Amino acid sequence: MNELIPLMVIVPMMAALLLSAFSKYDKLIRILAFVVAICLPIIPIVSNYGLHFFGGYEPMVDNVTNILYHPAITYSFDFMQQCFIAMIGLLTFLVVFIYLSKYKKVSGPYLFLLFMGTSAATALILTDDIFHMFVFFEILALAQVGIVAASSIEYSYEMALKYMILGAIGSPMMLLGIGFLLAMTGTVNVTDIVAILRGGLLNVTSPVFLLSLGLIFFGWLYASGLPPFHTIKSGIYSKAEPHAAALLQSFTVISMISIVIIMFRIYSSLPIFEVFIVLFSVIAMILGVSMALTQTDFRRMIGFLAVGELGFIGLGIGLGTQFALTAGLFQALNEIVITALLFIGFGAIVHSTNEVDTRKLGGLLAYHPKVGIMLLIGGLAMAGVPPLNGFQSKLMLVQASLSCGYPELSILTIMVSIATFVVFVKTFYSMFLRPKPHDLEVADKEVPKAMVFTMLILLIVIFALGLFPNVVTSGISNYVGGLLL
Amino acid sequence: MKLYDQLFYVVKRFKKLFSPGPVTNADVSGSITAEIFIIVSIVIASLLLRHVSVLLAGFVTLILAVVLITNIPLIPKFRIEQEDSLNKMLFYAIIALGFIVIFLYWGGNLV
Repeated sequence: MNELIPLMVIVPMMAALLLSAFSKYDKLIRILAFVVAICLPIIPIVSNYGLHFFGGYEPMVDNVTNILYHPAITYSFDFMQQCFIAMIGLLTFLVVFIYLSKYKKVSGPYLFLLFMGTSAATALILTDDIFHMFVFFEILALAQVGIVAASSIEYSYEMALKYMILGAIGSPMMLLGIGFLLAMTGTVNVTDIVAILRGGLLNVTSPVFLLSLGLIFFGWLYASGLPPFHTIKSGIYSKAEPHAAALLQSFTVISMISIVIIMFRIYSSLPIFEVFIVLFSVIAMILGVSMALTQTDFRRMIGFLAVGELGFIGLGIGLGTQFALTAGLFQALNEIVITALLFIGFGAIVHSTNEVDTRKLGGLLAYHPKVGIMLLIGGLAMAGVPPLNGFQSKLMLVQASLSCGYPELSILTIMVSIATFVVFVKTFYSMFLRPKPHDLEVADKEVPKAMVFTMLILLIVIFALGLFPNVVTSGISNYVGGLLL
Repeated sequence: MKLYDQLFYVVKRFKKLFSPGPVTNADVSGSITAEIFIIVSIVIASLLLRHVSVLLAGFVTLILAVVLITNIPLIPKFRIEQEDSLNKMLFYAIIALGFIVIFLYWGGNLV
């Protein structure tokens, strides 16, 4: 038992409740939010790997079937979880830092939403209990709705409401699927379900089992923003504050990989499951990038690109080999960092110009050269230019699809990367390089130092992961190897 | 000249796509790139059907290529279908759910 494992969820959750309760005391909640935000990336780093059984209920052996049962809600903490929780903790810290330095008076309920979202995303990736996963998936969805609705951007309420209405379709379907699974297996613990399936105690081709896959898969599409939910996902990114959008996309990536790993463990014996993941991922890649090419609102453009990048993650997981899964998870880690950098960088431009239409911008390199260069590097990383981290993961994905016998997917991956590059060249030229339009007023104010600091930190991570990918990939590969046993 | 007229018509349609507001060369270039990208990527993706049947893959790829090219510009149509309308989002969500359930029922036995 490792007592630090549940603290990764409990600390941000308690902080969220306290921040909301003491929202009247501005200075107090500033200090509390800052201290807790610093702790978030530290806890997973100092924690040991292992399992945590809530309530102290250890696993029991059934003497008749000789199967090990897990009566408690179980958290499993390994290298993969450590990477993602540390990364989301770092991002939460940076986002809270930007928020605290941006506003003179901070909002307790808004900080509640940020910390509650982080807590839910952490629980999602730790849990080995499918119903527990659903509960935190719901909490995360509501936190996301709240974060978007709380932004001061026009029509943010409307977009948040639409996201919630679509969630009213996606979430019950997932719950229904979990219900079918519970009815057939009698347990909600994923390890127990897998043991029952491997023991041949359940017919995997039974219509009820297939229906449970379909319904949970549909809920996963909603959680991850893959088609048909790509439009709303890109929409909520564009209507959130830039720093919040950076965190929202990380929530999406975490919920995507957490749920798909659980589905992979349960349903990977069905080839149609992997076919579906590849199919929806390819559609996301094509639609995401082609829509990004036609956008004039750069926040929406990044939103669509983020959705397209999710397709790369799905592709790695859908191919299903150890190397492909490692590539997919590495791509997920990279996407969290790169997209956060882009949202915050473009947020700095909005701060300076109050303009989001690329047609009305220009000549900004003279005003904000540091931001421009950092954004360019972020864009190149997303497009997969060496020696940045995006290159490493995309190269792995190309190799994985080739080794699986799908050269078409390799070609598609390369094409999408090239199209992403085109999007950035176009946008960078429109915003930074071409002559400044006469009617554009660039406020004579510095980009907030907190934003520049955040971009710098994320840039260091991008270079570090690009130059030394083995630091992460070898550990993830070992984790995936255990998953495939 | 007929092909040239058709391409010119495509560019005119792109101009409408960006209204209201000025249309820059970069925007039209982006849309033309998206147009070519979407046609090529759908055709390449359809080649994956060769894992089901080579004949089917060849047939579908040829038909798709012809249908997509004769229907340019595609991007304005795609964009209309992916606007922020709740009705359209709900429509496609239900279609996707139906698609998933039907294909699982049909293909779930392929273990």
